[in-house]
Amino acid sequence: MLEVRDLSVTIGRHEIVRIDALDIPAGGRLGLVGESGSGKTMTAMSIVGLLPFGARVTGSIMFEGRELLGRSDVEMSRVRGADIGVVFQDPSRALNPMMRIGKQVSEAVRLHMKLSRAETRERVIGLLHQVQLPQPEELLRRYPHQLSGGQQQRVLIAIAIACDPKLLIADEPTTALDVTVQEEILRLLVHLSEERSMGLLFVSHDLGVVRFVCDHVAVVYGGNLVEVGPTDDVVERSQHRYTSALLAANPGIPASDEIEQYVGRRLTVIRGSVPALGDFPAGCRFRNRCDAATDSCGESPPTTTLDGEHRYRCWNPVGRSVDVGTR
Amino acid sequence: MSALVEVRGMHFRYGKVRDHSTPWTLTDLSLDIRADSTLGIVGESGSGKSTLIRVLSGLLHHQQGSVMFDGRDLNDWLAKSPKDLRRRNQIVFQSPRRSLDPRMNIGRSLSQPVRALEQRKPTKAEMTEWLARVGLGNEILPRFPHQLSGGQLQRVGIARALSVGPDVLYADEPVSALDVSVQAQVLNLLMDVRAQLGLTLVMVSHDLGVVSRLCEEVIVLKNGVVVEAGRTADVLANPHDPYTVSLVAAARTVSLT
Amino acid sequence: MRYPLPLMLGGLLVSLFVFIAMLSFFWTPYNPKKISVPDRLLPPGSEGYIFGTDKLGRDVVTQLMLGARNSLYVSVLSTTVAITIGALFGLFVAGSGPRWQGTLTRVADVGLALPGILVALVLATKLGPGNMSAILAIIIWFIPVAARVTIGPAKQILALDYVEAAFAYGRSKRFVLMNHVLRNIAPLLIVLASVMFAAAILIEASLAFLGVGVQPPTPSWGRFLNEAQPLLEAAPYLMYFPGVAIVLTALGFNLLGDGLRTILDPQQARTGIL
Repeated sequence: MLEVRDLSVTIGRHEIVRIDALDIPAGGRLGLVGESGSGKTMTAMSIVGLLPFGARVTGSIMFEGRELLGRSDVEMSRVRGADIGVVFQDPSRALNPMMRIGKQVSEAVRLHMKLSRAETRERVIGLLHQVQLPQPEELLRRYPHQLSGGQQQRVLIAIAIACDPKLLIADEPTTALDVTVQEEILRLLVHLSEERSMGLLFVSHDLGVVRFVCDHVAVVYGGNLVEVGPTDDVVERSQHRYTSALLAANPGIPASDEIEQYVGRRLTVIRGSVPALGDFPAGCRFRNRCDAATDSCGESPPTTTLDGEHRYRCWNPVGRSVDVGTR
Repeated sequence: MSALVEVRGMHFRYGKVRDHSTPWTLTDLSLDIRADSTLGIVGESGSGKSTLIRVLSGLLHHQQGSVMFDGRDLNDWLAKSPKDLRRRNQIVFQSPRRSLDPRMNIGRSLSQPVRALEQRKPTKAEMTEWLARVGLGNEILPRFPHQLSGGQLQRVGIARALSVGPDVLYADEPVSALDVSVQAQVLNLLMDVRAQLGLTLVMVSHDLGVVSRLCEEVIVLKNGVVVEAGRTADVLANPHDPYTVSLVAAARTVSLT
Repeated sequence: MRYPLPLMLGGLLVSLFVFIAMLSFFWTPYNPKKISVPDRLLPPGSEGYIFGTDKLGRDVVTQLMLGARNSLYVSVLSTTVAITIGALFGLFVAGSGPRWQGTLTRVADVGLALPGILVALVLATKLGPGNMSAILAIIIWFIPVAARVTIGPAKQILALDYVEAAFAYGRSKRFVLMNHVLRNIAPLLIVLASVMFAAAILIEASLAFLGVGVQPPTPSWGRFLNEAQPLLEAAPYLMYFPGVAIVLTALGFNLLGDGLRTILDPQQARTGIL
């Protein structure tokens, strides 16, 4: 359904995103995982044409056989909402504080559909129902500040799915929420995606969250796709050194029988920090922080395919033994 | 042995002293923190967990109940020897970028606690030593916060807190604003300095994984009330309060281990 | 780093103005006090007088240079005093407890509502017309502005983590206000100062024009305009030169303020203030 090829986003002198291939099949759920500065949000936003002023995009983004790149703002605004819905990170900022919930949702409905007043109201209530908000009729008259963060995010999801999009882009939709609320929202997203066979592009810094939601995951670092494949495959048999290091550095919740040894046990670290935009090394972008880096990492690593769907770009993948001890 | 921090029936609310319309942020709180222990405080946003460490460290004043630090009432400390209280209780904040004055260079920021509490200017050798303790070189002294990464700034924040030799280090979500790949470094650093200096660590976190690594004990706050307290291992393996049960379950669903 | 055009243009105009005012202390084309009746009302371009002479035969260039001196004197003094007092008051209000804050903020608001020109006229009748009245009037006019501009950002900065950190390591509220807060609103005050300079120059000229500002024989651009008024038909150029001088100087300070705002603001945005 969505095919991204040779996508490149440049702002000023820096190429922020360089992705050779990324696909989402109809109804598929892809997680885009990366840290700050990885270009994950830029990648997602380039699909819906919501990039900062001055960004140059090249390559190809095909959505249901139509090219999205190079379209005018007016055409893109028709694509957004009608074909592709977007949910942002901070629900308290994404809703207009001065407008009642009912009006905000019905605006999204009216923008792309020609419905009568009663039909619109009917549809809005139906949408609020679908995002599992209790007493939707009651909610229509409320203002955003009268809702909890989780409820606000549900309203935003209702707005995003108002016109039955084929693809939903969610940019860190639960980062601002509490853990228990996060779980409910994640379950809702999975439910909606399955029920409507709606594709989901889920942008997150948290591999654990992505694993819960997505069937496939793409790991980005420094604007490059370093590893992509079925989520369980990537998590359990990660090949790229960055993916495996990220997994090892995660504190995680210990299994019941391991709890006692957990306290005070040091974590595996990734050295250094994510470089500033222009400071990533050439070749493999992770090589200055990688424990397995060799001379060949100065060259751009080739794409290796494992079992068809699992691809990675690393000179010294985890599966191959490298003498790390001497370094 | 009595605890280093003893809280009995403490109530706290924001707002004016005699304003009874504002609900309590913390209600009837009692807890003990032993010297050289590690305590995690978990709870959702608005549960009062950040408020709690601000009361314990003397930044906010509770209205009812008692808070004792080292056998002496907190109000007594604040009235008679506030500087001693500050020296023995230090805080590391959530956002390293916001907890350093953007217009002060690192050296100046780093020297502030000693300047304020000991009325002297620390030497460059001293500051070099403080930075070395957190794995930084002294070349960053003349730099400004926007020239450093989040991880480096949080190390500076920790070095600054440790510079006056506190007994208790309060950490308010110390890694939640950091990149995933940098979190582990800072958590290890906290573990190391804690062990080296024999600090008492009180850490607020929404991340049960982080708490299970660093804290032997944990309290769970909901709406300003302690709903569960105990050894972290016991609480994780066997939560009793319904809220704790849902919290642990939710954390496990998105855990990678 | 490339500086924005307004900053360069404003800086140029302002430095020219300051240079001319300073130069007038050491050198003017003619003795300022020299009156030469035979040479009265010479048009611009006359032999020895590029901008011409006034009704007493005084050189216009010389008079303009001396007028710049008075404009600079009044604007620098009044703005500096007003910003210092206003900013200190604003810091005090921002740092005061919730009980006093509302009241003191209203006090500043009442000050904002005072009509400045009226204050000047009242002062002139009480103290007599002159530079002192003008300076005092501008100070009274500007203090509430400076206070009001300071209170908001100062309150925002007081809510930031590094301020809390400072309290946590034992700094007093006074130290935090005078160091962290003042340091971080300094760019704002610099921009405010340049805008206020422009306004003060205009006000000084207006008051002198109305006859309640500086009195003869001290030259002032505003009074030149006043004196040129009856001669509008005979010697319109006497009005042009001080008018252009006032406009260019005010424009210069405004451009400077604008330029400073653009180069100081990105940093503000990065630090999360304002």
